[in-house]
Amino acid sequence: MKPSNRTGIMGRIVARVLLALGYVFIWAPVIVLVLFSFSRNKFGLWWEGFTLQWYAELLTNAKVGQALQTSLIVAAVAVVVSTALGTLAAYGLYKYRFRGKKAVRIGLLLPIVMPPVVIGAALLAFFSKVIRIPLGYPSILIAHISFSVPLATFVILGRMARIDWSLEEASADLGADTLTTWRKIIVPLLLPGIIASAALIFPWSFDDVTVTFFVAGTGTMTLPLYIFSRIRAGPSPIINAIGMIFVALPTIGLVLWTMLQSRVSGKKR
Amino acid sequence: MENRESMPCLELREVVKRFPGLIAVNHVSLKVETGKVFTLLGPSGCGKTTTLRLVAGLETLDEGDVLIDGKVVNDVPPYKRDCSTIFQTLALFPHMTVEQNIAYGLERRKVPRSEIRKRVGEMLELVELPGMEKRRPNQLSGGQRQRVALARSLVLKPKILLLDEPLASLDRKLRKEMQVELKRIQREVGITFLYVTHDQKEALAVSDTIAVMREGKLEQVGVPQEIYETPRTKFIADFMGAANILSGKVIASGHGKVQLETEGGLRIIALENRNRGGKVIAGISVHPELIELLPLDAGLEGENRFKGRIIEMIYQGDFIETKISLAPAGVLITAHVPSRLQTVTQFSPGEEVLVHWSPSSSNILLE
Repeated sequence: MKPSNRTGIMGRIVARVLLALGYVFIWAPVIVLVLFSFSRNKFGLWWEGFTLQWYAELLTNAKVGQALQTSLIVAAVAVVVSTALGTLAAYGLYKYRFRGKKAVRIGLLLPIVMPPVVIGAALLAFFSKVIRIPLGYPSILIAHISFSVPLATFVILGRMARIDWSLEEASADLGADTLTTWRKIIVPLLLPGIIASAALIFPWSFDDVTVTFFVAGTGTMTLPLYIFSRIRAGPSPIINAIGMIFVALPTIGLVLWTMLQSRVSGKKR
Repeated sequence: MENRESMPCLELREVVKRFPGLIAVNHVSLKVETGKVFTLLGPSGCGKTTTLRLVAGLETLDEGDVLIDGKVVNDVPPYKRDCSTIFQTLALFPHMTVEQNIAYGLERRKVPRSEIRKRVGEMLELVELPGMEKRRPNQLSGGQRQRVALARSLVLKPKILLLDEPLASLDRKLRKEMQVELKRIQREVGITFLYVTHDQKEALAVSDTIAVMREGKLEQVGVPQEIYETPRTKFIADFMGAANILSGKVIASGHGKVQLETEGGLRIIALENRNRGGKVIAGISVHPELIELLPLDAGLEGENRFKGRIIEMIYQGDFIETKISLAPAGVLITAHVPSRLQTVTQFSPGEEVLVHWSPSSSNILLE
């Protein structure tokens, strides 16, 4: 922030203070979490000495491992199925004219704009009363896919508008049948959109609490659900440890990414 | 009895294509001879691109037949037809190299790798882009991309090459160069071209036969000289840039000539046109270079002599574009006065002159 000379010392101080406050509110909880994940105190509330015991416990805690695995599997399946369905849906919406197209579009928008609580409750009622779907992996997967497909569809739809579609015709003209054209031309061209939707869906699915809470039933736990249930029993440093891992990983990832980017653009020059 | 040699490479029989609310191609029939350049010329929306796409198989027709080498191909999908399209956007695959682009069609035909490499190299030689195999489309200039698109289609040795306004995205100078290039390559390979353009100069330069299209129908088919020198209708004359179009009705005829009277009262003589196909004569057109300017004292007796006043003279290099207003009609005529002649005659704006052209220069327009 570079205020003009006319702003004066006072203005600059105020601006700096506000900026600092903003950062404090964003980062303080995270820093506390990270710090106290290393604290010996059983509740992770004040400092009692450095320890790595909570991380050790994480490694041996079967429930956490199980929940993590569930979350990863659900997110991975959601990404794959949703991007595939989303691609087909985007293609259909972009290229074909059919009756009820507007209805389809609105229908796709709904899961994104409806409150997750509403979706969760509705799905629970649906799975219990209307169609008997066992509560657990099946219901969680269906729920996650249902709200991920619209996301993928619209992201990929945006990408579709920026593609020169005579490329598809050229492929056919040169002798490629429909499947080959999809494999060699359409999917590679849509890839940025597909990757973008995967990048949106994976964290969304992994992180989801509300809808998953409603449809998970008793036997299955995703990681957020596990954390949620543990927190209800009282604060625990294990939660801090989990939190620390999920702060560290993306941060390292981002740092590496930025370093790679500047390397690449540096080279290009 | 048709022998093999006279069979047209491409034939359309009463082809109809409808879209909601309009008939894009309205009972079009045409024949394209092997090894020739056949151009569909017309303004935007006249149906020329749709016709091309029907031949390519990118659109399905509603009525009629498309025949390639004598065989009906109506239901054959585009990837099985023996023709190749050059798209207006060129449609080079951006995520592939030049070599991969050109090889694409060959790969689909399961041609062995070594053969593909050889043929790609030969093609790049033909289009004068040797050594460009590893480049990507976004690293090429407009003219280079053109050539790659050509190479990509020609390497498949199709029976017909379909070109959809291929030079539209190029600047003027490059367009002229590419016209020459296209002609050269076409002659060298001997392939049949179906060419679509809205640029009349391009059509004249490139074509063996031109078909002018308007609102889904063919209005005139002929060699470039015919289309330019003797356009059959006002629409074509206007589209080809003929400057002097005079509407009128026939008031007398005889001795192989007809006399027309325009709305403004000008009496124009033209040579009788026998094959009118039952259509009515609607006027005439005269090319500016065929109009003669004479001093007033040359006299008004004779055919097609009119008094007029010079409104404007614009120097164009080898000729002077001269606009004359004819009395009594006030009709504007454009004449191209050769610069050399002007140094002798020394006409100037505001001067009264005699405008003359011979009856054989009056091109009859029908409707």
